[in-house]
Amino acid sequence: MRPPFYIAERPADESAAFPGDGDFLRSGRLSRPKALPAHLAALLRGPAKPAGASLPFDDPRVDGCLGGGLPLGQLHEIGAAGLDAETAALPTGFIAALLARIAPARPVFWIAPVSDLHPPGLLSYGFDPNRLLLVRPPKDVETLAAMEVALREGVAAAVVGEVGQFDRTTSRRLQLACLRHGSTGFVLRRWPHGHKAADREASVAITRWHLTPMPSVKDGKEPGLPRWHVALTHARGGRPGEWIMEASDDATHPLRVVAALADHAPEPQRFRLAG
Amino acid sequence: MWLPHWPITRLSRSVSASPDRPLVTVETVRGVRHLVVVGMHGEAQGLSPGQTLTAARAVCPALVPVDADPVADEAALAKLATWCERYTPMAAPDPPDGLWLDITGCSAVFAREAELAHDLAIRLERNAVPCRLAIAGTSGAAWALAHAGKDRIILASGEERTALADLPVTCLRIDAGTVTGLRRLGLRTVRDLLRIPRAQITARFGALPVLRLDQALGAIEEAIDWPRPPIEWHERLAFVEPIGTPEDLRLALARLAERLYRCLAEQDKGGQRFVARFFRVDDVVPRIAVSTALPVRDPAYLHKLLCEKLDTVDPGFGIEVMGLEAETVTPLHAPQTRLADIAALDASDRLAGVVDTLANRLGADRVSRVTPYASHVPERAVRRVPPLPVKQPSWVGDPAAPRPIRLLRRPEEIEVIAPVPDDPPIRFRWRGVSHRVRAAAGPERIAAEWWRGKRSGKRPETDLIRDYYRVEDSDGARFWIFRTGLHAEDRMPRWYLHGLFG
Repeated sequence: MRPPFYIAERPADESAAFPGDGDFLRSGRLSRPKALPAHLAALLRGPAKPAGASLPFDDPRVDGCLGGGLPLGQLHEIGAAGLDAETAALPTGFIAALLARIAPARPVFWIAPVSDLHPPGLLSYGFDPNRLLLVRPPKDVETLAAMEVALREGVAAAVVGEVGQFDRTTSRRLQLACLRHGSTGFVLRRWPHGHKAADREASVAITRWHLTPMPSVKDGKEPGLPRWHVALTHARGGRPGEWIMEASDDATHPLRVVAALADHAPEPQRFRLAG
Repeated sequence: MWLPHWPITRLSRSVSASPDRPLVTVETVRGVRHLVVVGMHGEAQGLSPGQTLTAARAVCPALVPVDADPVADEAALAKLATWCERYTPMAAPDPPDGLWLDITGCSAVFAREAELAHDLAIRLERNAVPCRLAIAGTSGAAWALAHAGKDRIILASGEERTALADLPVTCLRIDAGTVTGLRRLGLRTVRDLLRIPRAQITARFGALPVLRLDQALGAIEEAIDWPRPPIEWHERLAFVEPIGTPEDLRLALARLAERLYRCLAEQDKGGQRFVARFFRVDDVVPRIAVSTALPVRDPAYLHKLLCEKLDTVDPGFGIEVMGLEAETVTPLHAPQTRLADIAALDASDRLAGVVDTLANRLGADRVSRVTPYASHVPERAVRRVPPLPVKQPSWVGDPAAPRPIRLLRRPEEIEVIAPVPDDPPIRFRWRGVSHRVRAAAGPERIAAEWWRGKRSGKRPETDLIRDYYRVEDSDGARFWIFRTGLHAEDRMPRWYLHGLFG
């Protein structure tokens, strides 16, 4: 429910991050009340981030939902269903494909209590394992704390953490650390074998993704390129969408959209299309 | 430092005794119980070591015999040596009843050596530990003077010969048999021994008496078995009043770090492992250790690392002395930077900072990098290496043999339905879930490395071969499974799941 005294308006400094037509953005975004004192307003806005830093998927169907591409220097949450909720193989591939194109000269912290990440497997997604710095904390709590330490220095291109339980307060801390220091954070939701994936509260991650495997197009009898059903379930300042993506062997575009399943485009746009 | 009647001193802290009920330790030799150590009070009553317990009881019926426990004595001595580290980092127990303290250069803190000796003696006395101290230029001379000379003697180096001349030969740390032999020859003091040609002593009593003599006089160096390697980089801070609040400790650590930095910077050195010790008023010495991936000496950084662990230190009733030492010291040259490199340098410094923070918080083995290793066996193809410095061989992938993104630490056995002899399975069951195979690629045959390790004799050779298949199930999930061994008439090959593809 939108409180009546909020004025739907987009902060001026974010306009650069979402170029193009953004009527829906403007209408869908809540902003500060007009009368807020200046110092509180500054707090709400947070420090200025590098304008327009985002990682485009180079496909208008996805970039349109994200407002130009995956925003960098923010916190993202990636999960999977069924078997992959405990093995995390699918989200790992998806993240590796994204990481391959984020600041390729800088290191990446991979923080996970379970050490079953196999670096040679990352090569096929174009990610150089030499960038990896593996951290193996004992449990979820330490994983999140280690993520914050790594994010706060802002020296890594990205910080990936594999966690099960993830509450709202922690996610806010991580998101703040991302915003202040410019590293991109990925929270890979992973549950130990036998645990049921259960969320008590939603995180404040700027995007939330949900992945499911899809049968590939067979190459003779052999499995073809991996295919995933990728659902963007939440995108702050954007809109959710669902696609079928394929991990291609092209290094510059490791993810290729095969088909758009659902694009939760806002009313005005649909109206325009019809008209 | 000599602690006369050390076992009695140790026992009197736990067993109650009084001047008329003297404590003695006894041991049983061939069924007869003998006194081993007799305390001060016991001596006053006429007891002496070596007496049988029955004879001693006749002299002094009220005595309290306790079984001798040399192991506990030695442990207590080692603990006292640790306590003495507040004076010098070089403190070693000298069983059965002595301590070595190397106070070379430490006296500067106490203005004079005499002050140090006085302080030590007073503290021990207050704790009812009788002791005799001697300071000399050689360890042999110090030992001799502590045992046979005046208490708290300080001998300037070079005067050993005159100081030792009148002492009995027992003070040379030689065994009782030799002492008896020397006495029989009328050689009672060190002066007598010095008069005789050395060759004759060696011929009769072996090399030990001459060696000890030379060591005491400083002609030969003596090595002492220090419990810890000598620390070159050590800073110490003593407080007038014991401190205990976290703010005070933090401040003291900062000062120590600053001092250590000055020492290290003077010689262009940096440390990779630092230990801070907190000497409490009781004899507990908590310590915190931090390690860094690259050599450092920056006091602010060191202070930050140490303070992260400060909450593990329990100050108890207060901390009297704090010490900070650099254990692993390597050359560290101030970097020459060009303006263009500053940004890159700063980034690598910050990376080292994150790595150190995480490694100190979680444990050094929990932060690593990976490097390729030339092995076809998948679990051996990756090596974990220390996270810094960053210089590594590059990874080369084989597109024809893709590797999974998740590799189970131990392959898990699966139940399969597979056509013989070497087709991929049609169905398999893993972790209680059945999967129908939709597409499969393989096999890729990987043999065990026969040159590594011993093979158990029971398994046939074919079991060392793994045929890997990349399979996709009807949902699209991809697995890396393998079969060990080949189909034979009497035995079925086993199937395992080893990894998962993204």
